[in-house]
Amino acid sequence: MKGDVGTKKWGIGRIGMYLFLTVISLFSLFPFYWMFVMSTSHSSAYNSIPPAMVPGDQLKENFQKVLDMIPFFQSMFNTLIVCLTVTIVVLFISSLAGFAFSKLKFPGKNILFFAILFTIIIPPQLGLIPQYLLVAKAGLLDNLFAAMVLFFLNPLGIFLMRQYVTESVPEELIEAARLDGCSIFRIYRSIVLPIILPAFATLGIIVFTSVWGEFLWQFTVLRDPESYTIQVALASLNNTFKVDFGMLLSGVFWATIPLLIVFLLFNKLFISSIAEGSVK
Amino acid sequence: MVSLDEKQQKGRRKGFSSQDMKEMLSGYLYISPFFIIFAIIGLYPAIFSLILAFQKWNGMGEMEFVGLSNFQVILSDPLFWKSVYNTVILGLMGTAPQLVIGLIIAFLLNLSYLRFKAFFRVTIFMPYITSMVAVALVFSVFFSNNETALVNYIIGLFGFDPVSWKTSEWGAKIAISTMVFWRWLGYNTIIYLAGMQSIPNELYEASRIDGASIFQQLRYITIPLLKPFILLTVFFSTVGAMQLFTEPTVFLGNTAFARDEAMTVVMYLYRDAFKLSSFGTASAAAIVLLFFIVVASAVNMLLTKRLGRDRREA
Amino acid sequence: MKFKKLLIASLSILVLLFVAACSDSSSDDSGKTADGEEKITLNFWMFGATGYEELVKEYEKQNENIKIKIKTSETADHHNNLFTALSAGSGAPDIAALELDQLDRFRDAQDRFVNLYDMGANDIKGEYLDWKWEIAENDNGEFLMGLPTDIGPKGLYYRLDVFEEAGLPTSPEEVSELIATPEDFKKAAIQIKEKTGKPMVASMEMMYRAQLDALEESYFDKDGNLLLEESDNGVKEAYDLAIDMNELGLVGNYAMWSAEWANGVDDGDFAVELGAAWFKGWMESNAPEATGEFSIATLPTEYSGNWGGSYISIPKETKHAEEAYEFVKWLVSPENQLNSFKSNGLFPSAPAVYDMPEFTEASDEYFGGQSTQTVFAQSAQKIGKVYKGKDYTSVHDEILAALVNSQAGADPEKEWTEAIERIKTKLDR
Repeated sequence: MKGDVGTKKWGIGRIGMYLFLTVISLFSLFPFYWMFVMSTSHSSAYNSIPPAMVPGDQLKENFQKVLDMIPFFQSMFNTLIVCLTVTIVVLFISSLAGFAFSKLKFPGKNILFFAILFTIIIPPQLGLIPQYLLVAKAGLLDNLFAAMVLFFLNPLGIFLMRQYVTESVPEELIEAARLDGCSIFRIYRSIVLPIILPAFATLGIIVFTSVWGEFLWQFTVLRDPESYTIQVALASLNNTFKVDFGMLLSGVFWATIPLLIVFLLFNKLFISSIAEGSVK
Repeated sequence: MVSLDEKQQKGRRKGFSSQDMKEMLSGYLYISPFFIIFAIIGLYPAIFSLILAFQKWNGMGEMEFVGLSNFQVILSDPLFWKSVYNTVILGLMGTAPQLVIGLIIAFLLNLSYLRFKAFFRVTIFMPYITSMVAVALVFSVFFSNNETALVNYIIGLFGFDPVSWKTSEWGAKIAISTMVFWRWLGYNTIIYLAGMQSIPNELYEASRIDGASIFQQLRYITIPLLKPFILLTVFFSTVGAMQLFTEPTVFLGNTAFARDEAMTVVMYLYRDAFKLSSFGTASAAAIVLLFFIVVASAVNMLLTKRLGRDRREA
Repeated sequence: MKFKKLLIASLSILVLLFVAACSDSSSDDSGKTADGEEKITLNFWMFGATGYEELVKEYEKQNENIKIKIKTSETADHHNNLFTALSAGSGAPDIAALELDQLDRFRDAQDRFVNLYDMGANDIKGEYLDWKWEIAENDNGEFLMGLPTDIGPKGLYYRLDVFEEAGLPTSPEEVSELIATPEDFKKAAIQIKEKTGKPMVASMEMMYRAQLDALEESYFDKDGNLLLEESDNGVKEAYDLAIDMNELGLVGNYAMWSAEWANGVDDGDFAVELGAAWFKGWMESNAPEATGEFSIATLPTEYSGNWGGSYISIPKETKHAEEAYEFVKWLVSPENQLNSFKSNGLFPSAPAVYDMPEFTEASDEYFGGQSTQTVFAQSAQKIGKVYKGKDYTSVHDEILAALVNSQAGADPEKEWTEAIERIKTKLDR
């Protein structure tokens, strides 16, 4: 293990650190745990005071109800397609643009970079009707592509990539490649891309999970139950007056599990790329 | 910059060489997908909203030009200013702590000798993965007004009176800030982690050999070198905080648009559009919000820049 | 090596996009029936737990050339989505349910709906309660927005053990007789408070609605004028009544639809609910422990209002107006209203149902076997015309906020005045 010089092995600092992280972890996990408890309980447990803490016995029953009510697996599949496509597209667009803004010279570069900031200014709630109109007129309602298209626009991705490229890709490397006569795309592909792979993991996770959790836009453009993404499908379980909370939270819980798995996969990528990335 | 000098030393012609032209074209080409998509799906709503701000429209009928009167209505509405106040407070209480604590956590998670890294990383990101439907229900139950709600029960153990979380001025803000903090902490942590990878380990080692404590490493190595990422998160968090909508809405449920304790600016304009069928004023509010966002971001970025500088000089 | 990855990734995107673009482009008019007729698909958007899925299946069996796709959403989402589609002029369904309180929001868009009178709705007008039918008409009675589905006639849900403890009679007939006027109601409330310490009503909103829902003109008069500043308007009376009852300790502070309220129902923490017929659905789901603890009596006429209910409309975008109308007509016919009642407790708006044996003989296990529907049927026939106005909900929300604040200790008069100010600001838009 690298030098612990100056830090006692199990001193106050260390213990404090683990304590702090554990508290934060519990704090972060608690609602998820409660959701699991509810997914295995009867609906009335939702109203119980004090709140239910121990898992119930309705695991199968609740989930069966979910399967009866909504096209769960179809929605999952749809969501997977949407999230995957958006993630790939965003990674591609962001890395290209990030590379360009960071390493290439062209007039108006800085102005254009700032212009990106302004693309996120209109609150999505207000842009809803005109965007819906565009999609409707293009005949793309109930089409998964419509659900994706809004999310291709991701300024955070460009900013992140640009930053990463600036910090991690040495100018000398690029210069050398230029002098060697490499095409710009070659530089991007062979030099930049491998170095920024860790950032791909981060941006990928962020984009994937963000799109997974999106509701409003999906709900507005996907109206045919067969085209639902999972959040829209789950929302149809929600009734103002007669909600079956056990069923609802069961659906929500099981919908989260695949996402968790994807995250863990990305995480592995993350770890291995950290090892690659930090030791220079 | 080194490369520019080299080029000049090589005595290129004035004007753009073919190499430079290629680079310029590539530059435009590579950033074009983003702007093309924006032109298709983002520009139209932006222009539409801009025009709409000067019209009176109920969503269905004809639009009627009313000049600046929408702005007048908005700016003289006490509820609008209350929503601005609420948004700022919620931002300070809910979003600001994320950035600080997220940084600390990312730093800890980056330490080479920390065990259970993967576990912590997963658990801290869990809130962001948890579906908003569930989050709303959970927080709704924990923070309900009644004495027996979980949070009221806990603070009761410390001798405090139960708080009306959903209908009181500060109760609502605290509950919602907690929700926002809870949900976005992991998100910012992950971004900081990504940034921290680019800091070479050697720097840390060298400082440790010199006897630097963890705090000193954090202060003199991590933060200054991470500054661009910090600026990034500050900017996006500021925009996100100013556009806060989902968390208060799902927490308050059907009183979300009827009470003013936790109404944010976007909630205010959403209410105008979808509850009062007044799209003109909603757009006007969005434009006013735009100015606030620009101002707030600029202020926050400047502050963050200066913060780094002071630290480095210390 | 990395380039290969990139290439594969790009190709996958293209494939995915292609798949996505091809999927579900066939959302209507697909396939033929056995006879070779063109199959017609109708999109039906609705909200709530209506049990219409079963009826739809049956209709499809009876009409082989029709396929109906149902989309169920939460109430607010449903109406917003419908609004968005109508506003953009594209993507609206063939059939859309409309809730009573949201109906007014769409009146301005009358031209985007099919006038059901054009489809022959006059023929069935007599089959439905007058007051319910007329709400869906426009001002001059020439345009019909939707056909009526269910209604929410109110009744007095009272807790048996609380009444007993307070020394009050417990059979529905006796209670109905006992509480025949608002004064009787108040007297009973005071008695209950004295003998049991429990409040009569669970929340300010409940108490306020008691009188509000029965007013013919509440917030607005027929010409759209705000009535709140008139000297003797019914709303202020309803408001003052709630405040008054609260000051006497007769009103609890359980937020509506909350977990505490459900628990209050379970535990019998308050004496009555002035609820609509559909309310028992909520009770059954959320307060199962209170089975057998409640009965239902009639309310005084002044409190016999309607709460909720829906209509089914046909947006003009539809290409199959006639088929849509035939289906809707079938769906809300008295026979099917009986079915909806049996399956989901949707209270019929067709008086013919009230005399049907299956209706009169039904009994509610939750209410100890009482035939609760007869109480509501009586209530339903007593309801008069109600005019709500386009901005009903906006105003309503403000008054509710004022009531809650007053209960928490604010000055009721000040709250009232401030609420009016806020309302006027809203309406100026």
